[in-house]
Amino acid sequence: MANFKGTREAFAQAMIDAAEKDNSIMFISPDSLKAMRATKFAELYPDAYIEVGIAEQGAVDTAAGIAACGLKPVVGTYAGFLTMRACEQMRTFVAYPNLNVTFVGINSGLLGGEREGVTHQFYEDLGILSNIPNFTIFTPADAAQTYHAVRAALALDGPVYVRAGSGRENDIFDLATPFSMEGITVLKEYGKDMLLLSSGFVLDRVLKAAKDLEAEGIHVTVADINILYGKNPQKILEVISGFEQIVTVEDHNVNGGMGAYISKLVCENEPKKVTRIGLTSFGESGPAKELADYYGFSPENISNVVRGSLK
Amino acid sequence: MNTAELKQLANHLRMVAVDMVYKGKDGHPGPALSIADIMTVLYFDKMRIDPENPDWEDRDRLVLSKGHACPIYYAALSERGYFGEKVTDFKLRALKSRFQGHPVMNKTKGVDMTSGSLGNGIAIASGMAIAGKYKKKDYYVYSIVGDGELQEGICWEGINTAAAHKLDNLIVFVDKNGWQSGGSVEDTIGTNNVRERFEAFNWHTQEIDGHDIDAVKQAIDEAKKVTNKPSVIVCNCVKGKGLSFMEDDNAWHKGVPSDEQYQMALKELGGIQ
Repeated sequence: MANFKGTREAFAQAMIDAAEKDNSIMFISPDSLKAMRATKFAELYPDAYIEVGIAEQGAVDTAAGIAACGLKPVVGTYAGFLTMRACEQMRTFVAYPNLNVTFVGINSGLLGGEREGVTHQFYEDLGILSNIPNFTIFTPADAAQTYHAVRAALALDGPVYVRAGSGRENDIFDLATPFSMEGITVLKEYGKDMLLLSSGFVLDRVLKAAKDLEAEGIHVTVADINILYGKNPQKILEVISGFEQIVTVEDHNVNGGMGAYISKLVCENEPKKVTRIGLTSFGESGPAKELADYYGFSPENISNVVRGSLK
Repeated sequence: MNTAELKQLANHLRMVAVDMVYKGKDGHPGPALSIADIMTVLYFDKMRIDPENPDWEDRDRLVLSKGHACPIYYAALSERGYFGEKVTDFKLRALKSRFQGHPVMNKTKGVDMTSGSLGNGIAIASGMAIAGKYKKKDYYVYSIVGDGELQEGICWEGINTAAAHKLDNLIVFVDKNGWQSGGSVEDTIGTNNVRERFEAFNWHTQEIDGHDIDAVKQAIDEAKKVTNKPSVIVCNCVKGKGLSFMEDDNAWHKGVPSDEQYQMALKELGGIQ
C-alpha cells in the first residue's frame, strides 16, 4: 500500500491495490481520470480504464452493461454529476437489477466544492440515494477510511456509493483501522452528557468541539457514522441507547443524510431529542475552511448547539 | 428455418403479442408488431443463445431499448423455449407476473437487461460489448431502439462511446416507423435522418426494409464483417405491421384490441396455435 494524501488519492490507490488481485475491476471515466487522481491506474491497467467523455449518464449505463456481464465497474466523478445528472441510470439500470457497480462521488459537501461554488458542491447526494433500494451508502471520514471504504465496496455485492471529498480532508483515522461494517465507530468518550455523531469530513471539527466542551465541564461522546441506511444498524442503536440527547453533524443538507437517518432510528426505536447540524441552504464560493465555519461547522458553533440543546 | 417459415413465425409471434395485450388489457401492440420480423430473425436465426442456459457467459445479448415493445420480446422468448412450455396466459402487467410492463432482467428468463426508460439501450449495450472485448469473448450485442427514442440525449452518449471504442461486436437496429407516442417523428422534431446522423458519428450504416426477413438476415451478416466500427441497421418499419386495422395508425401506440378486433387479428395472423 503506497502513501496517499486525501480522499481522491486514497480512491486511486484502493483501485490499484484491488486490481492487482482482481482483473474484473474496471474504471469508467466520464472525463474524470484526473479529477479522481486515477491516471496511474489507467497506466497500469489500460484495458480496464474506459473513457466515455463528459457523459455521466452514459458512464453509468456503460457500467451497468459491463456489470451485467459479470465484471465490477467503478464510476467515479463529482458527486452531483452522478447522483443528480445520472440519478435515473443509477436507479433503474444499476440499483433495480442490483448490479455490482461501485460509485465514488467526489467534491461532496461544502468542504468538497471549495472555491468552485454551488455548481460543484454537492450536499444532496445522500438524500437522493437514500430513497433508492439496494444501495449501500458509505460515508468515510478521511482518506484512510476512504481507501478502506473503496476496498470494502469492491468486495460487496450490489451497488455501493462511496462519498468522497476534494483531497483537503484532515486525517483522523489510522491507516490500519478497517472500515467498520457496523456503521459506527466511537472515537472519544468524555462522558454521557451528549452523543455527538459525525459523518464524513467534519469529524476533526466535531472532535475539536468535544474537546472544547470537555474543558468547560460538558462531557460528550463522539462517534463517526460511516454507513447510512444500512441493513444492520444494531451497533448504532446500542450506542444511541446510552444517551438522552444526540447532536448530529454532517456536511450535507439536514434532510436525507445522517441526521435524518439517526432521527428515523431514534423515532422508531427509542425516541429522544435529536438536533441536526447541517446545511439548510445552498452554499457559495470561498475557501473551504471559511465556508465550513460560516455555514455552521465551526467547532464553536457545534459547541453552541450542544450547549443550547442541553439547556 | 427458411425465409417462409421465419415469416410465418413472425406473424405467429405478432398474434401471441396481440393476444397477451388483449388478455392483459394493457400494453403497446403497435411498437411490438413493428419489430416482429427483427426479433424473429434474431431469436430464431442469428443469435447464439441457449434457452436452457439463459445466463451462458458466451451468449449473444439483446438490449430492447424500446422496452415498451416487450410483448413481442416475451412472445419470442416463450416460443424459443425460455419458459419451458410455451406460455398461454402471460398475465402481462399483472401483479406478481414475471412479464412486467417493461422488461426486467431479474424477473424474466432470457431478458439480458432491464429496459423501458427510453434512450439508455445503446449505452448499456456498449457496456456489454466493452465487457465482451475485455473478456476476449466473441459474442455479439444487439440493441433495438426506436426512431423517436433517438431524441433522447443519452442515446448519443452511447453512440459516441461505441464509436470511440470501435465496438464492432455491437449491432443496433433502429425501428424507423416514423411514429412516437405523441405523433409523427417529423412533426415532433423536424428531421428523421437517422442514417446520416449515425454516419456522422462514424458508425457503419445500412438501411433496409425491416419487414424483409432476408434483408434483415443479410444486414446482420454484413454488419458482422465490419471491423473497428459499431453497426447500425436502420429498418424502415410500419408501426402495427401485420394487422390491417393497426398498420401505420399511431392510435395503436398503446391500446387494447376489442373482441371484434381480436377476432380479426386471429384471422389475419393465422390463429394463435
